[in-house]
Amino acid sequence: MKALPIQIQREFWEHRGLWIVPLVIAAVMLLAAAIFGHVNLTFGNEGRPYDGPNPPPVAELMALGWAVPFYLAAAIQAAAFLIDCLYGERRDRSILFWRSMPVTDARTVLVKLLVGLVLVPLGAFALAAASGLLGCAILALRNHDVVINGLSLLTLWNTAAWLRMQAIMLYGLLAAMLWYAPFAAYMMLISVWARRSPYAWALLPPVLLVVFEHMVFGTHYIGRIVNGGFGEFLHLAYGLKAADAPGRIGSYSLQLLSPAQLLASQRLWWGLLAAAVMVALAMRLRRDRDDS
Amino acid sequence: MTTIVEARDLSKRYGKFMALDRVSFTLQPGRIVGLIGRNGAGKTTVLKTILGLTPYQGSVQVLGMQPERDRNALMSEVCFIADSAVLPRWLTVAHAIDYVAGVHPRFNRKRADEVLATTSMRRQSRIGELSKGMITQLHLALILAIDARLLVLDEPTLGLDLIYRRQFYDTLLNDYIDQERTILLTTHQVEEVEHLLTDVLFIDRGRLVLDAATDDLAMRFQQLTVAPDKIDAARALEPFYVREVFGRTIMLFENKPAAGLAALGELATPGIADLFVAKIQAAAP
Repeated sequence: MKALPIQIQREFWEHRGLWIVPLVIAAVMLLAAAIFGHVNLTFGNEGRPYDGPNPPPVAELMALGWAVPFYLAAAIQAAAFLIDCLYGERRDRSILFWRSMPVTDARTVLVKLLVGLVLVPLGAFALAAASGLLGCAILALRNHDVVINGLSLLTLWNTAAWLRMQAIMLYGLLAAMLWYAPFAAYMMLISVWARRSPYAWALLPPVLLVVFEHMVFGTHYIGRIVNGGFGEFLHLAYGLKAADAPGRIGSYSLQLLSPAQLLASQRLWWGLLAAAVMVALAMRLRRDRDDS
Repeated sequence: MTTIVEARDLSKRYGKFMALDRVSFTLQPGRIVGLIGRNGAGKTTVLKTILGLTPYQGSVQVLGMQPERDRNALMSEVCFIADSAVLPRWLTVAHAIDYVAGVHPRFNRKRADEVLATTSMRRQSRIGELSKGMITQLHLALILAIDARLLVLDEPTLGLDLIYRRQFYDTLLNDYIDQERTILLTTHQVEEVEHLLTDVLFIDRGRLVLDAATDDLAMRFQQLTVAPDKIDAARALEPFYVREVFGRTIMLFENKPAAGLAALGELATPGIADLFVAKIQAAAP
């Protein structure tokens, strides 16, 4: 266990983009907030200034909107990392060095999975939240003189709502880690297995299988597995139907969270089982592979 | 003291190709053993089986452990430098030290710093910016700082210039004298390691053709520069290798009484390089 921090650090030394890119996003967004942050806010109602009974969810929208670029980047980076992590060490033959250290193949694979599946998203969350709060402060300063219906824009801020939104998003991230674990495991398996072009190997076979299935059998079973089921995930994790999600966007309540419904999903458990099998295979392949 | 490595009937097959064919040998503690063979003779395969990096047939015990099954425990006691630089290019010198210090329970950071202090390496340099010689220096510094019982070196000086090669073996030898450990190394630059080996293993096309202590070589092998008129008499004594150099005939004998040979010409002990060439060519089909 003592070795875990340095093993994690090692991944961030190799894949520097994992920490540089989120920092750049944070810097760009803060800069953008400072430069372009003065806005003339209008909420709904055909462009007229807001005058409805309920205050618009400014804090929630800030939290969500600010975080989206971080989460998108994290998803792409995590995928790129997982596909490269066990291939890169064979490409540059450094695997001989790593394997000359007293670190088991199982442990190596698990640490890389931890980084790609858990730490990168959590890092994105933490940085999005911290920079988002700073961004809100900057926007508040830039717009302190904006008045809507006689009220300062700042009165629309709601710290509790902002925190609640962070909790809703953090829950979503944790749920997504479980939901997308088989995808992460699949990418690692391709990474440890491919002799070259792991990215092509990770992407092409599923696409070809879907096309093949559709052309030969006219069905979409594989397609439903490989498309990630984001709609189904949202529905299960947040008790939303995919269709009515936009309609309920205004009500960011903790009652949205439905972990029991998610955990009762068969697809989740089949996915986790598949993930466990693929991770075990990846460990084995790394151990037995001898093409150095 | 226990045996460091015990290999019995070690075989390894890649498809139809027998990379190792029933190789048996033992390594005793405190020896410096040269595993010498041509390219593709099976040297690296022997090392890989010892390090648990590849499946094999037969039995191997390293420090009483089975390399494939106990690889993790074994790697705490065995250190390994592979033939070409395998340190990743993106790693910095400082991070390399941090990493090994972090994961290796027997790493002594102070010792690594001492070895590195004798070089001109900057700590912030990435491995990719270092010359091959410097990378090998770094790798050696990392490994000498690990209190390992067995050090396995696979062509450690391949592609290095003479100065680096000399420094490498000097550092290795100084360290070896400081702390008793066993070294198994492969090379085909036999002349450079000849004087530091205590044992030699010659391997050819997957078979072991010689397993001897260097101290015993003088007893066992004779090199005879044959007097021109005694060639037939010398041939009658069944040399295992004959070659002609500058019109002189040189024969190598194994386990023949020196007294009889001395009458036929000039007698000497063959160097390891000469012996290697002779043994390999004698074993050729």
